Order: sequence, then structure tokens, then C-alpha cells
Amino acid sequence: MRHPTEGTLRRLVDEPAGVADADREHVAGCPACLSGLAAAQRDAAAVSTALDTGTPPDVDAAWSRLAHAVAVDERRRAAAPAPARRWRNRLRSPVVAVVGVAALLAGGGAAAAADWLQVFRTEQIAPVSVTQADLVALPDLSAYGTAQVVEEPDVRGVADAAAAGEATGLGVPRVTDLPGGVSGDPAYQVGNRATVEFTFSAERAAEAASAAGETLPPPPAGLDGGRFRLSAGPGVAAVWTSGSGAPGLVVARVVAPTAESSGIPFATAREYLLSLPGLPEDLAAQLRSFAGDGTTLPLPVPAGLATSSVEEVDGAPATVLTSRDGSVAGVVWVTDGVVTAVAGSLDADEVLAVARGLQE
Amino acid sequence: MSGRGAVRADLEQVFRTAYPRVVAVATRVLGSRDGAEDVAQEVFLSFARTAVPAGEAPAWLSVAAAHTALNHLRSGRRRASREESAAGPDPTVPDVADDVVTLDERRRVRAALARLPRRQAVALVLRHSGLSYAEVAAALDLSPGSVGTTVRRAESALREELSRHASSH
Repeated sequence: MRHPTEGTLRRLVDEPAGVADADREHVAGCPACLSGLAAAQRDAAAVSTALDTGTPPDVDAAWSRLAHAVAVDERRRAAAPAPARRWRNRLRSPVVAVVGVAALLAGGGAAAAADWLQVFRTEQIAPVSVTQADLVALPDLSAYGTAQVVEEPDVRGVADAAAAGEATGLGVPRVTDLPGGVSGDPAYQVGNRATVEFTFSAERAAEAASAAGETLPPPPAGLDGGRFRLSAGPGVAAVWTSGSGAPGLVVARVVAPTAESSGIPFATAREYLLSLPGLPEDLAAQLRSFAGDGTTLPLPVPAGLATSSVEEVDGAPATVLTSRDGSVAGVVWVTDGVVTAVAGSLDADEVLAVARGLQE
Repeated sequence: MSGRGAVRADLEQVFRTAYPRVVAVATRVLGSRDGAEDVAQEVFLSFARTAVPAGEAPAWLSVAAAHTALNHLRSGRRRASREESAAGPDPTVPDVADDVVTLDERRRVRAALARLPRRQAVALVLRHSGLSYAEVAAALDLSPGSVGTTVRRAESALREELSRHASSH
């Protein structure tokens, strides 16, 4: 019979019951396999010694430390909205609204007629640092006007990559080399184009400001009742999940956000939005620093939770985000009006390796 | 990895049972007890708000500890290699079979661990921390048959590193 694999020999070292009888019998009478088994035993023993962990830890002291950390975390959460709510607020927060609107106004062209006019298209992404305090302290978007969903994304699962491509018209990227701890086939999710229309109301904004004890600067002509349409999608995501806390991987692709305006003096409105009370000055300064060509999408990055850096993927500048605890990383870049993102419970090198190895 | 619900009612019970192993996993990766206890705290803080079934908790925690510790190890790798090049000649290292493992050897083992493919490193650490082949297989989505191969390759690479260094003195 054929010799058992080196993996089988290794298992014989410490879990012989897991090895088939035929393999055990073969090894017992085969000099080559016995030699391999001895080598496996030596290596296992050497590594075990090298990885020795010493005395057991003090569980009582560690429990006290954890209980204290959990209590501190509880108090922090009690003082802030629950995470799910905070996330909803983040979506509705004027920071994000202003970020989006400021971005679309960055293009500052001539005032448009009453027809919708594209004023922003995403060609690149740049991180802006946002603290949790910013997200919690600000009034939500409804304080500045009304937001209406014009097109729902209708996110849904589909059978495979072919179905995802058919549903979205997008090329679905294939991962050529899965990172360690990730295996099997992904589940595919798709979404249609989503469009939100926002109408600015000077009256509402003034009420909200006065309720917060602030005075609203007088809005420039044409902004009251001004409308903005922000669209993104369609999009597709391939999601690898695994049990027991092993890492997941997500590869997503979406038609990059664009924005249209019903026609107002762009540059003026942009400056006005950046001067509204509640928008922290350092955030406004970051937004002002973007080139005014209407092609840079600000990506809010929670300052205390993640760090960002710039790398290159397929010749395009890519923003790499890493959570401060090192447990999650992601990379996002834009090519030809399409945003691609790779993220998971991996490190920055691993998400970059996946990103650079994607095949169409 | 962070959960969103209330703190689990069984947190203390799970903690007292699983903490020594979680620290052991992280210590095997980092070679430092203090760093390992920090990793364990991080992992249990995340676990505190998850709904992972209690029966799956030990494996979940061990895998999370391995990944978190490897992330820490890799983020410190460049710094370590700079320190290594600045450290000058190394002291003599005893034979690898000796019970005494020097600080220098520990550092080399960790550097070699950081260079391994992630799956090999996690499988090695989990196996040496007492997880069965079936548990390692489930945690890493491997077949039980390939766990042995994965662990063997990792051990072979680490042993080579140890021997290479030992024979150079």
C-alpha cells in the first residue's frame, strides 16, 4: 500500500486513535514511515518546548480586571446611544450628509437650470477622521430638511457569481488565493441602485439650531428648498463566513456614488454647509482640503477605532483601514467609476494580497 | 468581532473555565505573558457581547486569541527585525532539546511564527494549546486529515529555524 501522508504521521504522534488501523499497521512495519514518525515526534517536542507558556495565569486577578473593563464599557454605552442606533444616526447624521453634500458641491461649476445636473462623481476616496463624539452630539439629518428614498436598493441573496453579474451588470471579482482561515464558496448578495433625495429647509435648520442654543448663519440665496440627489449602486458582495470566530472575508463592488443638484450656487452652498453649527472645525477643515474638482468621496473614519493609510491596488490609490485592535482590516479603491472593497478579520497585508490578486 | 447585545449572563463562568487556555494560546504566539493577558482581555471584551453558544465558546475564544495575537505579532515584526539587526552578535544558544529556552530563541521562534502562512500558524498554536484535530479542523474549516499536514509543515519550518540558528554557533 502507499505510505501514509506526513499529516497522518503527525497525527499518530498525539492522536493515534484518529488514524485508520491500516495506516497504523503500515507504519509499525515500515522503516521509512517509522523514520518519518520519529522526525515528526522530534519536531513536535522541540516546538512544544519553544512555545512553552510557563505557569498558569492568576484567573481571579484577571477576572477583576475584565469585570472592571466591562463595567466601564457599560457606563460608556449608557452615556451614548446603542451601537445599532448610533449606526443609524451615523447614516442620518449631518456629518455624513454634509460630507456627501460638501463633496458633491466640491465640483462648484456654474449654477444649473432647474433640471438635474450631475455635479459629483466618485473617482477617488479619501478618509476623513470622525470622532464618536461628533456622531453622537450632532442633530440628525431631519433637522436640516427632508430626505426621501427615491430608489430602494432591495439587497438580496443570489445563487452564484453568474446570477450576481446578471442582476447587477457588474463584473464579479474572483479571489484567486484565499487567505488563511478562509475557505469554501462565498454567498453572493446583490443590491440595485439606491437613490436618496435631500431637500434643504432653512426654517427647519433654524429651529434645530435655536433648540440647541445656536444661531444659524443666514443661508445663501437659492439654498432654501435646494434639492440634491445622491445615488450609488448597483452592487454585489461575495461573503465568506466560517464558524467558531474564524475570520470572514467580504469582497464587494458597487457603482460609485454620484450626485446631482437641482441647481444652486455650488461653492457658496458648500461653504455654508461647512459653517453650520455642530460641524466640528477640524472636520470642516479636512473637507475643505479636498481638491474642488467634485471627484473625491470623503470616507468617514472613526478616529478612535480605526487608522487609515494609502497603498496602491492595480495602479489606483487605495485607502487601507485597520481597526486599532488589529482584528479587522479593509481596503477600498475606485477604478472607472466603480468602488471595490475587500475587508475581513484579517490584517492589512492580507486584505491587500486579496485585493491585488482579484481576477475578473 | 465586537458584539452588540447586553453582556452575557454566563461571562464569568466561561471566563474562569477558558481564561488559562486563551492566555496560553496568546503566550505561545507572543512569547510574553503581559502581552498575552492584554490579548486575552481584548478577546473576552469582544466575546462578552456575542451570542456564541457556550459550547462553542472555548474554540471561538482560542481562535480569536490566536488571530488577535498574530496580528499584534505581525504589527511588531518590523520593529523586532530592526531591533534584531541592531542587537549585534547573539549569545550562544543551547541545544534545542534543552529545557531552557533562551530569550533570544523565543524571539526567533516568534519571528518565524510571524512569517508562517496565517492558517499554518493558527493551526500550530491551537494544536499545541490542546485543541483536538477535530476542533482545529472545525475552527479553520479544514478537514481533520489536513490538520496534521498543516501542523507538520509549521513545525518543520519552526524546527528548521531553531536548528539553523543552533548550528550557526
